[in-house]
Amino acid sequence: MDSQKIKLELENISQSYIVDNKVTDAVIDISFSVKDSEFLVILGPGRCGKTVLLNMIAGLEKPVSGRILLNGEEIKGSDRRIGMVFQKLALMPWKTVMGNVEFGLKIQGKDKKTRQEISQKFINLVGLQGFEKSYPHQLSGGMKQRVGIARAYASSPEILLMDEPFGQLDAQTRYAMQNEILRIWETEKRTIIFVTNNIEEALYLADRIILLSKFPAHVKEIYEINLPRPRDTMDPEFLKLRKIISENTDLAL
Amino acid sequence: MTDKERIEAIQQKAKRDSYQLALLSFIGVFGFLIAWQAAVLAGWLPSRYVPMPTQIIKLFFVKITDPTPDGAVLGVHILGSLQVVLTGFLLAIIIGIPLGLLMGWYRGFDRFMSPIFEILRPIPPVSWIPITIIWMGVGLKAKGFIVFFSAFVPCVINAYTGIRQTSQVLIDFSKTCGASNFEIFYKIGIPSSMVMTFAGIRVALGNSWATLVAAEMLAASVGLGFMIQQDRMFARPDIIILGIVVIGAIGVFLTFILKKVENKVLKWRLTQ
Amino acid sequence: MNKPVIVQSEAERRAKNIRRAYAILPVISLSLLTALWFYASSSKGSNFPSPLDIWNRYLLFLEKPIRGLSLLGHIWASLKRVFIALGVAWLIGISFGILIGWNKKANALFGPIFTAIRSVPPLAWVPLVTMWFGTGEFPQILIVFIGAIMPVVVNTQVGISNVYQIYLNVGKIFNASPKQVLFEIAIPSALDAIFAGLRTSTSAGWMVVLAAEMLGGKSGVGFLITRGMDSGDYALCLLSMICIGLVGAFLAIATITLERIICPWTVKKSS
Repeated sequence: MDSQKIKLELENISQSYIVDNKVTDAVIDISFSVKDSEFLVILGPGRCGKTVLLNMIAGLEKPVSGRILLNGEEIKGSDRRIGMVFQKLALMPWKTVMGNVEFGLKIQGKDKKTRQEISQKFINLVGLQGFEKSYPHQLSGGMKQRVGIARAYASSPEILLMDEPFGQLDAQTRYAMQNEILRIWETEKRTIIFVTNNIEEALYLADRIILLSKFPAHVKEIYEINLPRPRDTMDPEFLKLRKIISENTDLAL
Repeated sequence: MTDKERIEAIQQKAKRDSYQLALLSFIGVFGFLIAWQAAVLAGWLPSRYVPMPTQIIKLFFVKITDPTPDGAVLGVHILGSLQVVLTGFLLAIIIGIPLGLLMGWYRGFDRFMSPIFEILRPIPPVSWIPITIIWMGVGLKAKGFIVFFSAFVPCVINAYTGIRQTSQVLIDFSKTCGASNFEIFYKIGIPSSMVMTFAGIRVALGNSWATLVAAEMLAASVGLGFMIQQDRMFARPDIIILGIVVIGAIGVFLTFILKKVENKVLKWRLTQ
Repeated sequence: MNKPVIVQSEAERRAKNIRRAYAILPVISLSLLTALWFYASSSKGSNFPSPLDIWNRYLLFLEKPIRGLSLLGHIWASLKRVFIALGVAWLIGISFGILIGWNKKANALFGPIFTAIRSVPPLAWVPLVTMWFGTGEFPQILIVFIGAIMPVVVNTQVGISNVYQIYLNVGKIFNASPKQVLFEIAIPSALDAIFAGLRTSTSAGWMVVLAAEMLGGKSGVGFLITRGMDSGDYALCLLSMICIGLVGAFLAIATITLERIICPWTVKKSS
């Protein structure tokens, strides 16, 4: 019944590092596929290697073994079709909101008028119209993350990676941003791969959840979440899934 | 590739890279010296004004025993300079750092001292030289005072800034443990300020060495600064350049020793 | 209705009194300093000028220029040298700093020679430079240039080589070319380090110009000091020193203001 196209495929991805002349595995033999336009969540305990996994998809690191296929073709290194939203502050403090959002387009060499038009569209999409000339230090945490999202969207990627983007926000802002990202995703459908360590967040957002083990990471289980959106965190189905996943999660002490 | 092969490959690459860089540095330095030598030999640079590197090396050995034309052998000059700089520098540390720490911690003391300090600070140490000479005459005392002053200022400022940065959380915690103000100052404030204080000491060392050279050029009868100034009178560019090289070398040496001391004292510091 | 009366607790009253006491302290210390000055200058056998002497000297200066220049003329002569030297030093220094900060090979090639030259105090170059180029404007500016360029290069190099990895990652994600990474990411992020270097070079340049003038100039504030020293005109010396301090402070403020204008995104904490 799976009629959806496969957007991204990971085949036997592994990563290890050499620390003090010893080889330390970080990611062990991970394989999964990502469907077109789905909201996929990678859930794992803290420091399990999920950022490493995401870095490999983004092309920031090269896996020690395995292949990554985008639309059926293998990709090497960072590909313009894959965009990323970071957790820690990756906005350039010396650029305004507009300057940050149009950054990718500037690198691509688009002229000023086109850049500003496209960027304005996404600044409006994330709800930051009016703040084009503000600097990052003048914005709140939630607003900064929205700029990051607009920036990633602006260069028209096919896949968006999000590395615990709401991890640094306080609880209220976090809930608001979860609704925001769903709204943005519904408006401008892209394939999203979202990394988090928070079970509720994963269940609230995901079409599918890939549960990773603790360090070094391998795939423990893949869950299909068929609850209708917007999801109710008090719904018995929701809570049942939460219990199942929670019991299956390794502790990261 | 097996794990072992991977480790070896990485190590090999690291070795190759560092060799390559070392080679480039070697080429940089020697290329410079060879170009210099060649330029003088070929007449592109006037040999009356620009001695060749080989001449300077020869001169080094000569000057160790030859007191002409400036009145003393190299060793005497070096000792003369070192004496003054070390005295001034050490005094500055002994007086300046506690002063800065106290000023940073005790608000009343700060209010009393800072106006004086703020007035004295923007005046470059070199311009104190004439005043000091008026006041103390020409001689060891004057030179020492100027070196002292140029080292004193950064010591105070950095100790002050360092201790002001003490984490409020640590201070509050100590208060809940019942520590007195002085105890907190001594056990928390001072160690917290050590990184900045050492940075100040490094600046102070550079300042003292630089100021000493200037002071000796203006008013002294022995010392490296005096030596190179005199040799301008005697039109001996070779001794001047030798002097410059020695001055630079000693500066590097002193900084190196300071770095070793700093690393020992600040063992707990996170290195980048 | 009666206005509510504000009552202070014992502790608050004590704190207020202590604050009042603190406020007087600077006044006390400055008065002590001035008193010390008057004492030093009026005691027997002292040739230390009193504040009154200095004021008179200032008035005298207004009437009789020294070597054809008024006090302001000498100050401007020194400043001119500093500005020219700084301009060139900033240009060359920042470019060179970027080069050796960004490119490891260039750093290996040029680094050692630069470090060697850097270890020599700028004033040590004076005898050599004056022997080669005499005592005109050029050698003085050259010496200031040597003193000013060092901190610029060092700070720029540190700034460029320590760009946050996360900014470089952003560049990688967007497939920026190395040139784009340098100009769009590395240099802007290094701007606050570069400005720290510029600030240091300004104060270093001011110090060096005075010393260079003292060692053989014909105009400028440093020259005034030596002139005063040689002719026993100690009031002139002190007057010059005061001017030196004031101009130095002004230059420092000017550089900080320049930074605030060019980098509006830096939220600086006061030191």
